Amino acid sequence: MSTLPAPTLLQAIGGFCVLAQKTAQTRLTYRLAMLVTLLASAFAYCVFLLVWEEVYRQNPHAGPLSREQMLGYLVIAFLVNTMLILNVESRFLQRVRMGLVAIDLVRPLGFVFVQLAQATGDLMVNAFYAVPIYVVGLAFAGPALYPASWLAAVLGSVSVALAFLVGFGVSYLIVQASFVLQSGYGVLFARAALHQVFSGLSAPLVMFPPPLRRVAAWLPFRHEIETPARLWLGQASLAEAPSLLLQQAAWGVGLVLAGELIFRAVMHRHQIQGG
Amino acid sequence: MHALRFYSTLYRTALKSVAEYRVDFAVGIVTAVAMQLAALAFYWVIFARTPALGGWSPGQVLLLFGFTAMVLGLSEATLNGIWWLPYYILDGQLDRLLTFPVNSLAFVLLSRPELHSFGNFAAGALSVAVAFHSVSAPWYALLLLPLWIVAGAVIYTGVLVLVGALTFRIVGPWVTHLFTVHQLFNTSRYPISIYPRWLHVLVLYVVPFGAAIFVPADYLRGHGSLWQAVLVPPLAALAVAFAAKTAWDAALRGYQSTGS
Repeated sequence: MSTLPAPTLLQAIGGFCVLAQKTAQTRLTYRLAMLVTLLASAFAYCVFLLVWEEVYRQNPHAGPLSREQMLGYLVIAFLVNTMLILNVESRFLQRVRMGLVAIDLVRPLGFVFVQLAQATGDLMVNAFYAVPIYVVGLAFAGPALYPASWLAAVLGSVSVALAFLVGFGVSYLIVQASFVLQSGYGVLFARAALHQVFSGLSAPLVMFPPPLRRVAAWLPFRHEIETPARLWLGQASLAEAPSLLLQQAAWGVGLVLAGELIFRAVMHRHQIQGG
Repeated sequence: MHALRFYSTLYRTALKSVAEYRVDFAVGIVTAVAMQLAALAFYWVIFARTPALGGWSPGQVLLLFGFTAMVLGLSEATLNGIWWLPYYILDGQLDRLLTFPVNSLAFVLLSRPELHSFGNFAAGALSVAVAFHSVSAPWYALLLLPLWIVAGAVIYTGVLVLVGALTFRIVGPWVTHLFTVHQLFNTSRYPISIYPRWLHVLVLYVVPFGAAIFVPADYLRGHGSLWQAVLVPPLAALAVAFAAKTAWDAALRGYQSTGS
């Protein structure tokens, strides 16, 4: 059996962009479903806000952050989370079960880059939805959502890009699990649970009890939400910023490489389902 | 009697088919426990910052967490099939089902038990057991626990069916409308007193999750009456079940196949 020749760099970049664009178009096809999901998520998140509102009502000095800082943090955390909801695993789980993964495995772009391109498409659509969320957030939280300075805005934006890489790295690891399990939904939900606690989505780590904070510090999830939110709001000092960005980059690259190593090992024993 | 035997066989068969994949079963259980632990971690964060929430002590809030997880677990273990309705409609499975001499709603609900439900139920039961020591309820109040959990599961599933009936009109491969119900259900984890008035009304009277969770928990902490705790959950469950069956039948009358 002959194999296709590897694409040139320009062809690969072109293919990557087309795949990202097509993924975004597919996502936009289901606009109503996405809007309802977004509203449901926003509602669920409002429960967190109401819980924190009650905590600060009972104890105005509940932690190192003031009520206004906490509100600003939570809205920005929700915004970053919305931007980084990637459908990598859910899209792939379906394809494994239907046997369509055979097509993904022979694409000239390479398996990891196909997944990354599709994740980029997700990010493009999510960024589009993030704008109205920020506007609505501004109406409620006002200046608490502004970046601390121009530099903080730049650092926060770079951090969001690196957070995308970390999020993709975690998703790519879960994709490997779906090669082994009949249904990867279990692992998918486990990731969601870990993400909810340790990413800082429901509270910044500084509000955590020390044992929980220590566990969170050793996991990559905080670099998906907390790090970009703190950098944007200036809650992390400028001296901390290079270290935080480096940690994010290291986690992102490390997770993708780990996923790629597992992928190569899994491919030795994987059988394609007939659909 | 014959119908009961039929649905019992249907359920056991469905359970066997999903339990066939043992690794998935184990992962499902671990996952469900992880998700409950995630919820409890937030509980820990909150009570590290405040001694009470909306007038409820940590033990009393834990009771709400436990009830919510047990109700969710029971519904997922027995009546979970509504989550698959969009896909049944899309690929034509519902058309075939409608030719069977069975109750289509019961068949759909019983056809897809969810494995991770056992983890949710177990984690919830453990939370209730721990929390029960911190409330001033008599021991015999625990005898009412099955009534509350069954009523809660019927209410949760009933609301899912009410909203799921929209699937007959808005055909597509999504469950986002059901996900919205699930998110609303999660409000049961926290005291109703922290929510704005409109949300009180919504979760107590319109989609009455609170009837089977807040009302019993309020009684257990010594605030509500026994009669309310005994009567309100089953009455709310009956009302929601009736509304769900009516909505399902009405939606089915207007059903047009996708032709798959």
